[in-house]
Amino acid sequence: MNSGNDPTTTGNKERLAPDVMARRSFLRGTGIGLGTVALAHLLGQDAEADEVRRGGPLRSGDSSLGLVSHFPPRARHVIYLCQSGGPSQLDLFDYKPALAAMRGKELPDSVRRGQRITTMTSKQSQLSIVPAQFQFARRGQAGNWISELLPHTATVADELCFIKSTHTDAINHDPAITFLLTGSERAGRPSFGAWISYALGSENQNLPSFVVLLSASRKAGDQPLYARLWGSGFLPTRHQGVRFRGAGDPVLYLTNPPGMSHELRGEMLADVRRINQFKYQEFGDPEIATRIAQYELAGRMQVSLPDLVDLSGEPEHIRALYGPEVEQPGSYAANCLLARRMIERGVRCVQLCHRGWDQHSDLPANLGIQCRATDQPTAALIRDLKQRGLLDDTLIVWAGEFGRTVYCQGDLTANNYGRDHHPRCFTVWMAGGGTRGGMSYGETDDFSYNITRDPVHVHDLNATILHCLGIDHERLTFKFQGRHHRLTDIGGSPVHALLG
Amino acid sequence: MARCLLRQYDPRWMACVWSLVFLTQGAMPRVGAAVPPAQLEFARDVRPILADACFVCHGMDTSKRQADLRLDTEAGLAAQVGDGPLVVPGNAAASVLYQRMISHDSAIQMPPAGAKQRPTLEQVATLGRWIEEGAVWQPHWSLVPPRRPPLPAVHGAEWGVNSIDSFVLARLEIEGMKPSPAADRAALARRVALDLTGLPIALEDLDAHLADESPLAYERLVDRLLASPQYGERMAVPWLDAARYADTDGYQDDEPRSMWRWRDWVIDVHNDGLPYDHFTRNQIAGDLVPNGFPEQVLATGFFRNNRTNGEGGSIEAEFHNEYIVDRVVTFGAVWMGVTLECARCHDHKYDAISQRDFYQLYALFNQIPEKGVYRHNSPPTIHVAPRSTQRLLDHIDRQLQQWEAEDPRREALAARREQLTKDIPDTMVLQDGPPRETFLLVRGQYDKPGEPLEAGVPTALAPWPREAPNNRLGLAEWLLDSNHPLTARVAVNRLWQLHFGQGLVDTMEDFGAQGQQPSHPELLDWLASEYRRSGWDTKRLQRLMVMSQTYRQASRVSPERLERDPTNRWLGRGARFRLAGEVLRDQALALSGLLVFKMGGPPVRPYQPDGLWQELAEGSSGAYSDGYQHDTRDGIYRRSLYSFWRRTIPPPSMSMFDSPDREVCALRRPVTNTPMQALNLMNDVTVIEAARHLARRMMSEGGESLTDRIRWGFRLATARWPTELELQALTAGWQRYRTHLQSTPADAEKLIHVGQSTPDSPLPVVEWGAYTVLANTILNLDETVTRE
Repeated sequence: MNSGNDPTTTGNKERLAPDVMARRSFLRGTGIGLGTVALAHLLGQDAEADEVRRGGPLRSGDSSLGLVSHFPPRARHVIYLCQSGGPSQLDLFDYKPALAAMRGKELPDSVRRGQRITTMTSKQSQLSIVPAQFQFARRGQAGNWISELLPHTATVADELCFIKSTHTDAINHDPAITFLLTGSERAGRPSFGAWISYALGSENQNLPSFVVLLSASRKAGDQPLYARLWGSGFLPTRHQGVRFRGAGDPVLYLTNPPGMSHELRGEMLADVRRINQFKYQEFGDPEIATRIAQYELAGRMQVSLPDLVDLSGEPEHIRALYGPEVEQPGSYAANCLLARRMIERGVRCVQLCHRGWDQHSDLPANLGIQCRATDQPTAALIRDLKQRGLLDDTLIVWAGEFGRTVYCQGDLTANNYGRDHHPRCFTVWMAGGGTRGGMSYGETDDFSYNITRDPVHVHDLNATILHCLGIDHERLTFKFQGRHHRLTDIGGSPVHALLG
Repeated sequence: MARCLLRQYDPRWMACVWSLVFLTQGAMPRVGAAVPPAQLEFARDVRPILADACFVCHGMDTSKRQADLRLDTEAGLAAQVGDGPLVVPGNAAASVLYQRMISHDSAIQMPPAGAKQRPTLEQVATLGRWIEEGAVWQPHWSLVPPRRPPLPAVHGAEWGVNSIDSFVLARLEIEGMKPSPAADRAALARRVALDLTGLPIALEDLDAHLADESPLAYERLVDRLLASPQYGERMAVPWLDAARYADTDGYQDDEPRSMWRWRDWVIDVHNDGLPYDHFTRNQIAGDLVPNGFPEQVLATGFFRNNRTNGEGGSIEAEFHNEYIVDRVVTFGAVWMGVTLECARCHDHKYDAISQRDFYQLYALFNQIPEKGVYRHNSPPTIHVAPRSTQRLLDHIDRQLQQWEAEDPRREALAARREQLTKDIPDTMVLQDGPPRETFLLVRGQYDKPGEPLEAGVPTALAPWPREAPNNRLGLAEWLLDSNHPLTARVAVNRLWQLHFGQGLVDTMEDFGAQGQQPSHPELLDWLASEYRRSGWDTKRLQRLMVMSQTYRQASRVSPERLERDPTNRWLGRGARFRLAGEVLRDQALALSGLLVFKMGGPPVRPYQPDGLWQELAEGSSGAYSDGYQHDTRDGIYRRSLYSFWRRTIPPPSMSMFDSPDREVCALRRPVTNTPMQALNLMNDVTVIEAARHLARRMMSEGGESLTDRIRWGFRLATARWPTELELQALTAGWQRYRTHLQSTPADAEKLIHVGQSTPDSPLPVVEWGAYTVLANTILNLDETVTRE
């Protein structure tokens, strides 16, 4: 890990030198003279990178890095804690004490304003108001409201920057989560992580720049996830998220087949390299040189990745920090710890996905289960990054694809209720990466139904994430089908108030 | 007024611009495509600059148009503005358009300060030069119907075998380049077999070809390949990408659906040699063809391959709209190379497509009685027996007719007939129902209908043919009319990409103002005209391409050539690119002898890493409660195009090698080179099982000596004998592998058991293990994974 010096600002050639040198010596290690094309390709910079530079953005001092920054970045890494299903803002963060007196009453038309609702509740005879069943308290010095369901999160409250007024366009899971993570409800667009990989490349040539970790599923009915949520869309496919898995190979096809020992594999790779070198000398195609280097890298990944995912070397007090589930590979807790290890090693973007936040019914019980699985590890991740000095340049985003309705779905009983999808307002928080800890931004009405102040659209959220990384969301573009596409489509602007 | 403006110019800036203008006019050496040719052409050199810099505010889109000024038409550019004429032919300095673009005064500068797209200095210079040269306007090249150009004059008349070569050579001569020598016969045989069948050339075919010393030998090989049933399978894959074909619906739970009967239709008609006009008409409007056959209705399944949403709580109207939009957009990209998606919300900013045009096309596709929220197959559907089933049924019917009524065999045969009929799958198709009204949707929103619209086409592209019906059949006739400027060009460009790695227009999906200019415009038009003239004979056109000397060039590249033309835009060498995911897997199966050649039928499930489906979608859908279970028999060894395609979790060994996920239409695949691909070819059970069978073949078919066996295996994969150096490396490698395995014979035992098939040969285990590693080496060689 570098000392926290920022490699993406201009004129930092000296500070970058060790990194660049390391890569060059690795390339020399392949034993052949790589052409510049292959070199550029390996370093994530080729013709397409020109697209990023449209509009004359500021660039890194060293042209071979493929780093693009439009202005000095606050963060160099992102961990996106994606809570799939739509966590209830009403029961976690958006405290609405006035609702207690309105329990069971019909949602006033003056609040609903004829806005569309899903067909799961549009046929209900009543839209009965249901207050949160949980206690809220002011937490941290800043005194932000947090539900009793999140006691650990409460202990890092002053690191969190809450956005109470996030809103989205879609009302169903598939389009909504696709929108959250790709900026489009329709399939076919690059995910935010692919955009970031495309813009910034990797800091560690032995690891992918964009990694995806999924919590193992817990129960039937969880919303499924799709490869498009970390896909590269029309960007070159090497920017797609590489999924690390809790069981089996850490990444697909990493492990040698039965009977192929490490030594035997080494022999085999040496022979492949030898013959490919003959071919390169004869044919001169730079793709051959690239292939030689990629095989070298694959061989090194076979060694480095098992080491990366092996948590047994983590000291007891660190494991305890993340909670007992850290011992289960593929758990949210294990993935949070893994995310920290990846950030330490220079992975640019880690996307964790945790399913199961879709509480149409039995919300009190099921939301509790969700929180117990995620609360402690989330807080631990923040604490752990902070104690290592990594929180300053690592942006953490906690978000689901939408929020939930103030009215009950299904039967409202004395101690049970459910909530339907609600895209008009929901709570997202960010931490680290230059965001303003302890802040609460945006306001909703007494029903957490409409935004009354400072709305933040998903495009604004994405523009803000890119801004933290030093990227102007309007200038990070890729031309496809005759259009300069961007993560934020035709909208969005960074919310500067969120930044410290 | 002009003088007043001129005072605001920064003289240093002016000097810079003009020196660029003069530089580019001078006799500078040509470097790639960057240097403009002798005489600028508006369509090629100037319009793209205006499109990028100006059309957003001064283009087609009426809602965003500023100052009532448009620069995308001849009349628009001829206009007078407050400051004077926009363009004064022959006088850039007096042209307001030019003045505004070189000005540094933020009050008059264009594009205005803060604009996201700014022309470069060089582009402004080009604009100035075009005005100086007389400002001759041309319509966008792809809007002028292609005419058959005469063959160009070339100096190197001794090179080339057909007309394609004349165009290519003429261009090379302009660039001051020479074509490459021909590839050697074996390399070419491997190349053309991979291109036309997606499979490596079999050794006996290679030997027969090399033994045929007739000058017609190559032509015969090409004809054999074009006639092989594997040709249809190979041709189907890019069409399935275009059609976003899959075996699941693609949204949330991504439930299974059955469209494979349509997929088999694509294979069958490619093998039939169905002309492209019929191919087109059947898919767009096969249900409307008078007295059509069931297979013609089946063909319209193309337009039912879009994703469909069954998520609970979804709003019918919202997703019904999505499906139609997807069909219109896919139609535009696939058949016309036009990007229609922007016109869903507003007039196109770059091309002559209005929002009205979009919804008039929409109206054509809006006539089928279809639900908005559904899973699995949903009406309209059709049952069409697979051809093999139909042949059986016909045979049974003949038999039943011949047999007496009381023949005891009748009952069993009738039962068989009933079973066969029951197994015929249903396939979603287009069939118009009662007329449905279409409205222009304000800003593309499904719940904001604007004015009602009749069905129609973008007539800026081509006029509606007289007497064509105002329905999808009319749409097909319009598309195929000789006045349509795009249909034939787009089709030949796609075929060109198959054989040369990139299109003559590289932006396969965009022939509009923002797309790439053709590298060889005359060749593109000549091919388009030839295609139409031949009766849209696809095989004939492909034959012409692969018979050309251009195609037959060696793909070896010298540093000078690479420097000169890094992407091989001028076609001075043979194309060299990594094989597609399907071809890599099929090749491994073919080389090992495991490939099962059975064609068509329901999708199969080859190996896939355990747990992949569960991790993403466990418990979400009853349809997948068992997770992914791979097949146990032939299904593992079928060609990759038959693999079950689950859109939200596509087969990883395909995605890694750049196949699209089939959620939306895709017309070209990137070709990446990643460590994940290396890991797949090193470790995938498919590859290792293939390696051990390839090893068995080397030992049993390759001869007696180690050298013979290595030579045989190497040639099987690459179609050539190894060089002395290669042979030494592989021999030494094999010996090291064997030494390793001798010390750990249990490893050899494990290696030869990877996969489902049992190692039933009485071969010595350690040696077999060593050959397995050697075969794994061969399957990972750059040459093996590359079509060169």
